[in-house]
Amino acid sequence: MTEVRTRFHEELDSLEEMLLLTGQLAGEAVENAVRALHDRDLVLAGAVVDGDDAIDANYLELERRALDTLALQTPVASDLRRLSAMIHVNLHLERIGDQAVNVAKLFLVTKDEPGSEGMRQQIAEMGGIVVDMVRTALDAFARRDLDLCLRLPTMDDPVDRLNRATHLEALKLADDRRSLDWGMHMNMAARALERVGDNAVDIAEQAGFLITGEFREFTDASHPVDVDQP
Amino acid sequence: MRKVEVSGLSAWFGSKQVLFDVNMVAEPGKVTAMIGPSGCGKSTLIRCLNRMHEEIRGARVEGKVLFDGTDIYGDDVDPVEVRHRIGMVFQRPNPFPTMSIFDNAVAGLKLNGRRPREELHDRAEQALSAAGLWEEVKDRLDEPGGRLSGGQQQRLCIARALAVEPEVLLMDEPASALDPASTLRIEELVADLKDRYTVVIVTHNMQQAARVSDWTLFLLYGEVIEFGPTTKMFTNPDEQRTEDYVTGRFG
Repeated sequence: MTEVRTRFHEELDSLEEMLLLTGQLAGEAVENAVRALHDRDLVLAGAVVDGDDAIDANYLELERRALDTLALQTPVASDLRRLSAMIHVNLHLERIGDQAVNVAKLFLVTKDEPGSEGMRQQIAEMGGIVVDMVRTALDAFARRDLDLCLRLPTMDDPVDRLNRATHLEALKLADDRRSLDWGMHMNMAARALERVGDNAVDIAEQAGFLITGEFREFTDASHPVDVDQP
Repeated sequence: MRKVEVSGLSAWFGSKQVLFDVNMVAEPGKVTAMIGPSGCGKSTLIRCLNRMHEEIRGARVEGKVLFDGTDIYGDDVDPVEVRHRIGMVFQRPNPFPTMSIFDNAVAGLKLNGRRPREELHDRAEQALSAAGLWEEVKDRLDEPGGRLSGGQQQRLCIARALAVEPEVLLMDEPASALDPASTLRIEELVADLKDRYTVVIVTHNMQQAARVSDWTLFLLYGEVIEFGPTTKMFTNPDEQRTEDYVTGRFG
């Protein structure tokens, strides 16, 4: 019994390596965007915006190579699931990169406005959790660890709570027009981070599909989902 | 509903056992594909389904092949009658090269006894139409079958098998000697034929099995490793050996 599709499988390995690298870049982008916002670091915010080109370039290259592989190699079974999952995860990572840019830009356009330290803390806390979620989801993907995948929905719960809390915090700034403007922008930043959390859950769903061969949504906006149910 | 049910089938060439306790079914309206590496026994298995295997000297079979519930290896069963009802198409197109297209199409019928020319014509047209060849040959029915292209010859052989009105059509790598366009025509034809026949196809081309079949049987060293819906076999098979084979981790 010898491996007969060596080059094809090496290409899949290479694509996954690239995907995980994109994931690392996207996670760092969110981390840096939140740090820039919290520390009011203009240079770091600018670097996040500039750094998105590298994520986009990886995204486009993986998309192209994955389509070539589908067309030329007609993968099946776990190879097909792996490629399909990578195509989905790739898109989520590109979106995560964009959300990092959104957070950085929301900070840059409000840099001269008065803000609330409490809200900055909430956003920093959200950022810490969602970055951890992205890394956990990618780790679960790389290690084919189903238990780790299933942790994602629970990790997402405080993110949703914090997102709602930032809304209330913004309302407290209603007395001052410039503060309120800042608060509304920060509310959008919180929303962007909340979306990153959702992307991380979706990545874990793809990892779960890769491992089990059955696709299940871990969360559903319109219906509660019990991930422990088979 | 089961048209063909194989139960505990083993087969030998002389003292060499090549099939081991095979169990499978073929349902009407479905295409069942057999895949596996060269020498795994898939051609032997399909030839056991209409008693062709025993035509080879020293070959023998144990176990049952039920056709509509009756064992075709039963004592009072005529193998010739079995082969009328369970037709076969082979890897290489084998029309009678000097015989006309028309006579090729009805060759099986003629063996069964004399029939009026008109009836033979109707049956030839039906069979050639079912094999997707009628429009291409209707104006040249008197030409020799050997003058057709490889793909047309194979469809002529399919027409010949269909003319005797079988219920099951066995196809042993029917497209492996054909060019890509003819191969795709045969695959489309298989999809058309399954509405009227129970089709079993052996193929060494896994993608062909994926494209044309509803059920796939994976054989290795004469044993059934996995038998399941084709979509499952090619997306999430139960057996690691199936996974390794369909993904090319061994061959």
